[in-house]
Amino acid sequence: MEIKSREEGNVVVFALSGRLDLASGATLKENLKKYFEKNATSIHLNLTEVEFINSSGLGALVSIMKEIRLRKGRLTLSNLASYVQEIFEITQLSHIFEIYVTEEEALGSFQTVAAK
Amino acid sequence: MSNVEEQIGELLARLQSPDFFEREEAVKQLGSFTEDEAVAGLVLAMEDPDLGIRELAANQLAGKKGQVASQLLIRFLANDDIGTRNLASEVLVKIGAEAVPALAEYIECDDHDVRKFICDVLGLIGDDQALEALNKRLYDENGNVVCSAAEALGEIGKPDSVEPLIAIASKVDDVRLSALEALGKIGHSSALEHLYTYLDSDDPIVFYVACEAIGKIGFPESVQQLSELLKSQDRSQAEAALSAIIEISVQQGGKINIDLPLDEFSEFLFDGIKSGNQAITEFTLSRLGHWFGNNVVNGLLDVMDYVDDERLERITEVLGDVGQVTAKPIVAKLLNASKSLKLKLLEVVKQYADEEIGKELVQFTHDEDAEVRQKVAHILGVSGYQGAVGDLKRLAEDPNGHVRAAAFSALGWLCSDEDVEFIFKGLDDKYSDVREATVGALVIIGDARVVSKFTADLYHEDAERQRLAVTALGWIGEQDVVEPLLKAINHPDPAVRKSAIASLTRIGNAGDLGPIVVALNDENSGVRKVAVSALASMRGAEAINDIRFLLDDDDVWVRYHAMTVIGDMGQAEFADSIIPYLNDEMDVIKIAATKALAQMGSKSALPMLTELTRDNNQDLAKAAQKAVSRIGSNE
Repeated sequence: MEIKSREEGNVVVFALSGRLDLASGATLKENLKKYFEKNATSIHLNLTEVEFINSSGLGALVSIMKEIRLRKGRLTLSNLASYVQEIFEITQLSHIFEIYVTEEEALGSFQTVAAK
Repeated sequence: MSNVEEQIGELLARLQSPDFFEREEAVKQLGSFTEDEAVAGLVLAMEDPDLGIRELAANQLAGKKGQVASQLLIRFLANDDIGTRNLASEVLVKIGAEAVPALAEYIECDDHDVRKFICDVLGLIGDDQALEALNKRLYDENGNVVCSAAEALGEIGKPDSVEPLIAIASKVDDVRLSALEALGKIGHSSALEHLYTYLDSDDPIVFYVACEAIGKIGFPESVQQLSELLKSQDRSQAEAALSAIIEISVQQGGKINIDLPLDEFSEFLFDGIKSGNQAITEFTLSRLGHWFGNNVVNGLLDVMDYVDDERLERITEVLGDVGQVTAKPIVAKLLNASKSLKLKLLEVVKQYADEEIGKELVQFTHDEDAEVRQKVAHILGVSGYQGAVGDLKRLAEDPNGHVRAAAFSALGWLCSDEDVEFIFKGLDDKYSDVREATVGALVIIGDARVVSKFTADLYHEDAERQRLAVTALGWIGEQDVVEPLLKAINHPDPAVRKSAIASLTRIGNAGDLGPIVVALNDENSGVRKVAVSALASMRGAEAINDIRFLLDDDDVWVRYHAMTVIGDMGQAEFADSIIPYLNDEMDVIKIAATKALAQMGSKSALPMLTELTRDNNQDLAKAAQKAVSRIGSNE
């Protein structure tokens, strides 16, 4: 899996591509850890290029979400491909993750909350 | 005498009849005439002993308008009977601007009560023709007339009246309050400097009225002046100043850029919301974006029982935006909240639920309402609080199916892998949404025990369990599910075989593809089709040699699918295998072959494809035209 990260204001955006499984999930967590150490708590994951997620990949996302909650931060996801969308529905994770259709909408939601 | 005069004369006579219905009919008919005599008759009916007839006459007169009606009605303002007097006032107000000249003339009469009534009526009409007459009455010898004149000028609301009102407010103590109120109603900024002078008044009523007037004028510049008063030791003075600021804020659409010590007034503000004060409610909600200490959160929770649904929605949003600090007070509020409020509050808490909140929420797993229990189960899962597992297991046996489904999902989110045995029980639930939630939970856990149990389930006595098992193994998608899925390709149930192959396709790394190649000969056409897709996906063009024998399959849709898949690979060297199918007996196969050859860019197929562009089947002809055009453009 390829993981690219960039900062958009206070939000750290990760663009993921490939397969999210045990190995890539661990890599993603490592990448996030670096930002957590810098006290970043607003994280967005763009999953547009993620073609496959398995059980371990889901576990990694759940674990990331718990870590961010612990840090009183916020995690958003966007651009879920139909397969990824389907597995989120099956596992009902769509109810616990904040999912947006586009990255733009997700980043906009961070701004709205900040402006309030 | 004309016919009309005769008719009116007759109706006037009928007005004297002792019979109610006779008089009522006469009034109705008089209403249809425009002649002054008819109007006079209606005015006469205003003195009828029966209130119903008097009101009917008043309504007819109001419809007539005109100077004559006004002149005739004015005399009723001196009537001893208060009902008749009020009725006349009402009609004059309804006549409106046309009545003003007559009223302005009569306002000079000797009777101070009538002068006062006329001032009141002129105020209610609100026409600026009355300004001059009313300005004069500001100097009437009778105090009540002066007050009514000032109030009327306020109602008319013309800036021209500001100066006379300031003058009278400065000179006459008894008129001051009416004049200041009027200045507020006029709402012109030229009154502000004068109004500010009363903010030092020792008279609390004058102070309050001046504050209110400044608020009504609504100029943002006044906020600075008023905000100084918020420090006043006199609480009622400070609250009056805040009310004025609130009024200005509402008029400015909430855009006042000044920090206000709102924490000191939270009780006043939240009491205002509870009592239904619209301005205070709007102001308070609009300021909450940047004002939320603990007392504010508690205040908000406290007023939730008093506001309408729309405002409740806004408060819920604000609580959500405020964030984590709201969670604990919300949990406390849950204890005594109604069901609907509980659900709204739980939705807010969900956004910030952590282990600490999870701990607090466990008590609500016993709530009497199933919807609440369902929501709580959901939030416990989100919270990550492992201590809730026992309570969630209890909820997984709840009498309500939705609660059970939420509890199983939550157990999955908590990755409660020690409870795999327990979670598997959800697969036997009588409701499908519980069974599906259970599959979801087990997919997230997805460890070796789960894979092993699902593998065993592939041969469970219950066909539904077999179906769920193969689906779940596919979604788990780990390398250790590949082997059971390959074995499942030989399962007796074609649905399981199909699902197994589809899952292997998604996982991608199936290792031994032999069982899938064998599945190309499966007795079930659906399995054969999915096997074609699987091999194409996993081996690409190399799969063509395996699958091309299915171009002659017994099932037309297998043939169609195999042809489409081969075409999608775009390998021109396989065109010779496809070209013969342009002569297939079935048009659907001809169309599939046409499309496949187009994707392959097969020039050798062009003569036959050109022939097909003239086919009677329009779909086939169109497909051939596209193919010819595509192949031609590649040349």
